[in-house]
Amino acid sequence: MRLFETTDTGSVEIEIGEDLQARHEELAERNRQLFAERGIRAFDITGSVGAGKTSLIAGMVERLSAKHGVAVIAGDVATTHDAERVAGKGARKVLQINTGGMCHLDASLVARALGQLPESGIEVLFIENVGNLICPSFFPLGAEKRIAVVSASEGSHVIEKHPAMFESADVVVLNKMDIAEAVNVDMEQPVADLEKVRPGIAVVKTNCLVGEGVDDVLRALELA
Amino acid sequence: MHEYSIALEVWGSVAAAAREHGGGRVRSIRLELGVLNLIEDEQLNFWVEALAERDGSPGLELDIVHVPGRVKCRGCGAEGECRVPEGTLPYFAMGAMRCAECGLGDVDIVGGRDLKVVTAEIETEGRNGRGE
Repeated sequence: MRLFETTDTGSVEIEIGEDLQARHEELAERNRQLFAERGIRAFDITGSVGAGKTSLIAGMVERLSAKHGVAVIAGDVATTHDAERVAGKGARKVLQINTGGMCHLDASLVARALGQLPESGIEVLFIENVGNLICPSFFPLGAEKRIAVVSASEGSHVIEKHPAMFESADVVVLNKMDIAEAVNVDMEQPVADLEKVRPGIAVVKTNCLVGEGVDDVLRALELA
Repeated sequence: MHEYSIALEVWGSVAAAAREHGGGRVRSIRLELGVLNLIEDEQLNFWVEALAERDGSPGLELDIVHVPGRVKCRGCGAEGECRVPEGTLPYFAMGAMRCAECGLGDVDIVGGRDLKVVTAEIETEGRNGRGE
């Protein structure tokens, strides 16, 4: 920190140069390194409340846990419902982070949770972000890939309405395909919108409740 | 979005610096803010001023220097400033960004998310002189 010259008006201008954005990115990068050191492939799952994040994770855990050490970190403002739903599907460890009001997970919360995971034996980590298509866009966790889950009951213009989230996503899951007709939603619209915003991005259609399409998601994540 | 938590970070950083330099009232802060943070200037201003007043620096002025967005094309690799059409919220521009070279809509954001506390002006109560 350097001191500049004193002005006549009895004040001094100091150079602070504190890069707060870099701090967030450094924390994410540190997580990335920790994951690499421990041989963990980490995935950040985002989506609105009720989109199907937990169902998707439960399905993926079920399919992977026979052959791989899988762990789950579930983020929510409150309750342990999500962690409870996934527990019993075969994961070695399921942790719940309650943010107590914060609308997204950030790298520091994930780093803290990492400390509670077994030192070895975890090969895949699913991080379920807080239900929110806006705020998590701005907070990288250091995961290998981000999966954004969108469900039919949210309407057909979700992609257009939340460009920042889909800009930061690597795979998009279009869930609850089975009820699209019942809620009068054209699911080709999000497919077309994604093609405009992120040409070539992997899009997988699912009905996670019955496990339809979950294998395709695993393939898109190079986990199968 | 998150104007309050950003205000907390910014004020925290400046308040610590002020304490190290005599603890006088902070008159102004210069902040570099990337437009792709989608921060509402007025909201941020409000909260930084409110926090400053709470901590003995009423009347603080927040000088926000906007940093434009920069994108890199995933297709041809071209990198450049992304221009937001007049009247368009940067948020919606994100969905419509195109590479200026090849026209592809698949771009990575490589700049415009800055959040840097650059300088702060602190009262010294009659002290004089230069220093490093």
